[in-house]
Amino acid sequence: MSSTRATSAAGATVIARRRSLLSAEILKVTSTKMWLGMLIGVALYIGIGVVATIFAPEQPGMPMPRLSTTEGLRNLFSTAGSGYVFAIVIGALGMTQELRHRTLSSMLLSEPRRNRVMVAKMGAYAGVGAFYGLVGVVFGYALALAFLPLKDHGDIPIDTMWQIAGGSILGCALFAILGVAVGTLVRNQIGAILGILVWVLLIEALLVAFLPAVGKWLPGGALSGVLQSTGFNGASYLPVWGGALVLVGYTAVFGVIAAATTQRRDVS
Amino acid sequence: MTSPDGLASPGPIIATRSDSGVLGSRVDVAGLSKHFGSVVAVDDLTFTVDPGRVTGFLGPNGSGKTTTLRCLLGLVEPTTGTATIGAQRYHDIAHPARVVGAALEATGFHPGRTARNHLRVLALAGGIEESRADATLDLVGLADSARRSVGGFSLGMRQRLQLAAALLGDPGVLLLDEPANGLDPEGIAWLRGFLRYLASQGRTILISSHVLSEVEQTVDDVVIIARGRLVRACPLSDITDHGQRLVVRTPQTEELIAALAQQVPQARVSRQDDGSLLIEDVDSPSVGRAALDAHIELHELRPATSDLEQVFLSLTGGAQ
Repeated sequence: MSSTRATSAAGATVIARRRSLLSAEILKVTSTKMWLGMLIGVALYIGIGVVATIFAPEQPGMPMPRLSTTEGLRNLFSTAGSGYVFAIVIGALGMTQELRHRTLSSMLLSEPRRNRVMVAKMGAYAGVGAFYGLVGVVFGYALALAFLPLKDHGDIPIDTMWQIAGGSILGCALFAILGVAVGTLVRNQIGAILGILVWVLLIEALLVAFLPAVGKWLPGGALSGVLQSTGFNGASYLPVWGGALVLVGYTAVFGVIAAATTQRRDVS
Repeated sequence: MTSPDGLASPGPIIATRSDSGVLGSRVDVAGLSKHFGSVVAVDDLTFTVDPGRVTGFLGPNGSGKTTTLRCLLGLVEPTTGTATIGAQRYHDIAHPARVVGAALEATGFHPGRTARNHLRVLALAGGIEESRADATLDLVGLADSARRSVGGFSLGMRQRLQLAAALLGDPGVLLLDEPANGLDPEGIAWLRGFLRYLASQGRTILISSHVLSEVEQTVDDVVIIARGRLVRACPLSDITDHGQRLVVRTPQTEELIAALAQQVPQARVSRQDDGSLLIEDVDSPSVGRAALDAHIELHELRPATSDLEQVFLSLTGGAQ
């Protein structure tokens, strides 16, 4: 039937268009140096975190679990999955720099269906986030396994390491999408980045550490659940699947709100 | 040959479509208004732009030109009215980058990205072959700078890059916002020839400018707006052929005025600040004959052509 063929050809065209739109967003990331700078940030942040966790003085009465315990080792490995700050920041930078350099308008001339542009951008940054998550765990695990023999530690939990690696990749991908959404909503680059840093590193970090009953429901706390961390004084977070669900929920809600507000907004 | 800002001259212009005939679509703006809060940027504007012609979209800064273009391109939602290309709103065009090419101000670049990658991004986003990036860079004379970061480009080079971006999809309609801004005289001459060539292929070309003299040798038609409202939409010749206007210079000004009053009483004579006379509604042979009959020495007798800017200013109310 020719009509069926025509329909499937049109469908193939739409898929090809979406794929090339995704390629455009990926090329945007790789054709400037920002991603590399942020990647160095991920390595430094995780490297310092892992080394500090291993060599932190262990005394009775310290709030964090010791390396000789299962929880302590899990925390060490989940430190390797904590590059999500960089994932959310690069997502927000990716969106706000389009507004700052006024490149969004030329994008929307090439593809006026704004939803498709938003989806492609979120997809591209999910990829960037996943890459950061992967690099973070590989680098963090390597450091951890290199320095652990110097300390008294329990058995290396290989299964847990795989789970945390998966959680880190998923978590960083979702946080990068969240970053794109925040950038879309805040629009001002400095405002978006400052807001994210104050929230993630200060407000949310304090709530997750000292008020885990509330903190575990926040995006960062949900990620702590996904990464199987143990908080101060043995505080526990959501189970892995629960944390993942909450995180996916936040990403979906913010992503949809961000895409919706873009639909009719005037672009300068 | 290189231009003063070090650019290679563009390569030979090669027709890029064989299924010739008229490529361009008509651009229609009908009853268009756009309010930003209490500011009325565009006020009930109606005009059309025809294929195969270069139309100058003229008005002082802040008169609503860019807002009108943004409405046409779907970047700004009109408050009332419509702005269509080939009777379609921009959003509804199936493959817009192949139908419409636009250049909006020389600011839409990431300074750290190369010219070539900038175009490759837009080609991918518009579903256009990536090879068009190199082809259009060549077309606008930027091939040698393709792998340089746009951050180091001069304003003239950015204008050329904008033009390359507009041409990526080989579109039948070109909407260019102040394309001559920042170009050196050679660049303006090049742009003029380039736009004339593109129009001769049947494309629809609309170029905005706030300086009439910048585009008066390029455009066929003009659409003049001021304060968001239409002032005139007509062929350029309609605003330039204002009957006969002559500039005359003579050491015997008073005698010539008297002679003209006697021999060609319909002539309107006015003294100019530079000592010359502006004579309207009479042709140059009549003035010459009147001067000869009265034995008046003439140093200059020529048509007054350079006051197009005056016409423009008077039409737009002179307000900048």
